[in-house]
Amino acid sequence: MIVFENVEYVYPNGFKALRGVNLEIESGEIVALMGENGAGKTTLLKHLNGLLKPFSGRVLVDGVDTRRTTVASLSRKVGIVFQNAEEMFFSPTIYEEIAFALNNFRYPEDVIQKRVGWALKFMELEEYRDKSPFLLSGGEKKRLALAIILAWSPEVVALDEPTVGQDILQKEKMIQIIRQANQQGKTIIISSHDVEFIADIKPRIILMSKGRIVKDGPAEEVLTDIPLLQECSLLPPQIVSLTSRLDFLGIRPKLAGPEEIAVEIARRLK
Amino acid sequence: MSTILRGLQFYPGKTVIHKLDPRVKLVISLLLMMTAAIYLEVTIITIVVAVEALLSIIAKVFSRWARTVYGAAPLIILVFLLNVLFKLSMPGQSLGFQSIYEALQLAYRLVAFLASFSIFFLTTTPEELGMALTKMKVPYMYTFAFISAIRFTPILAEELQSIIDAQKSRGLELEKGNMITRLRRYIPILIPLMVNVLRRSYELAEAIEVKCFGAKKNRTYLRELKMTKRDLTVLSISITLFTLAIYVKLFVKLNIP
Repeated sequence: MIVFENVEYVYPNGFKALRGVNLEIESGEIVALMGENGAGKTTLLKHLNGLLKPFSGRVLVDGVDTRRTTVASLSRKVGIVFQNAEEMFFSPTIYEEIAFALNNFRYPEDVIQKRVGWALKFMELEEYRDKSPFLLSGGEKKRLALAIILAWSPEVVALDEPTVGQDILQKEKMIQIIRQANQQGKTIIISSHDVEFIADIKPRIILMSKGRIVKDGPAEEVLTDIPLLQECSLLPPQIVSLTSRLDFLGIRPKLAGPEEIAVEIARRLK
Repeated sequence: MSTILRGLQFYPGKTVIHKLDPRVKLVISLLLMMTAAIYLEVTIITIVVAVEALLSIIAKVFSRWARTVYGAAPLIILVFLLNVLFKLSMPGQSLGFQSIYEALQLAYRLVAFLASFSIFFLTTTPEELGMALTKMKVPYMYTFAFISAIRFTPILAEELQSIIDAQKSRGLELEKGNMITRLRRYIPILIPLMVNVLRRSYELAEAIEVKCFGAKKNRTYLRELKMTKRDLTVLSISITLFTLAIYVKLFVKLNIP
């Protein structure tokens, strides 16, 4: 469980990124952090494994204050996939790239082999095992970045803008991976302003603006609140845009699949 | 490190100093540095630093300027220690008041140098510097390379930080171990940094080629530099002061520390 208690954070240049954030994330949840650029999403993520320590207030990961421990020990519990993780590769082969963290965490050699093998398979990267990470395509790099983190099986997986620069197919794959990892019991925290992507996952949404949490609720509730979304510089999902214009048929704005809405429109028109 | 970099980065303002011709500012900074270079007396260097402080106050960048000087403390201490060691390594020298004092003078001189750099870069945009250099007949290719270097330094610093964050999140511990293993730990940081720098320079090369870089030998500017009366006045005052400094150095026997 992750708890934020009145967390404030100010960058050295004086920018107040978090202004009193209170938050509880249970294990096994899928949570999406949404909000405009500069709302504080990435800053919040960096607090999860102690890369940033709160200026005031505190962050507890499984009851441990992040100020009282190291990034390395917190990282075993919380794996963060950064937005530009594919710019952080350095190993000659993909195998070694994944094994790097496991070596840092001092896993025995046979465990490392097993885990890297599993991660490669899970991310469909087996055939590239001995290739350079720099030779992968954009989508494959993103999957490698995920494989790196999933290999040591952290309880919490945090993803920073996982869909930037990804095509529809990759996004669908990403959703599958997120669901699977969640079914394996992992807490998933996604920071994103890709509304359609989040609408497909339907997680609990934490809406942020200017360093504060302005709304915390299920996707069905947050993503249909059009004025609030606009306030946070987000466009509602297309299906919500559509249903919000169907007031004359007696349909309320709602987050549902296109088929369901089509059936409902047909029924009302009859 | 980042505090020093911030102190060498342009900070927008509308003060007299910001509006001065970049060439004049360049000359003033160089004259201040030369004054610090020809004197070793603590009093004179203090005067130079005081003048620089005054300039930074006029330009409303004093706190940033002061932070640069403060942030450079480790470097200055290093220079001081190296000088002490160097003095000791010379035959017939022992660690006395004199040798420590001399090392202190050299380190103090560095403060004046750095402070002068800082005030110049805090009040001059890279473009202005570029225009000044071009006016001084430096080929544009070199000017461009120099400006890009200044431009990309803060971006590089930011990137370095995000690489460190990412690798720390993969369990990399930079603080542990002896010197050699510690250096080895920097490989996962330095390789991505280098790869990104190379990638970025290729991208930049393509971007400027698309915009016909180097198609014409003599580049023209939308805004031409022109010396105003104020520029000339400031320039003549500073040259006079510097001449005075040289005169004093050559012909007046100073009896100050």
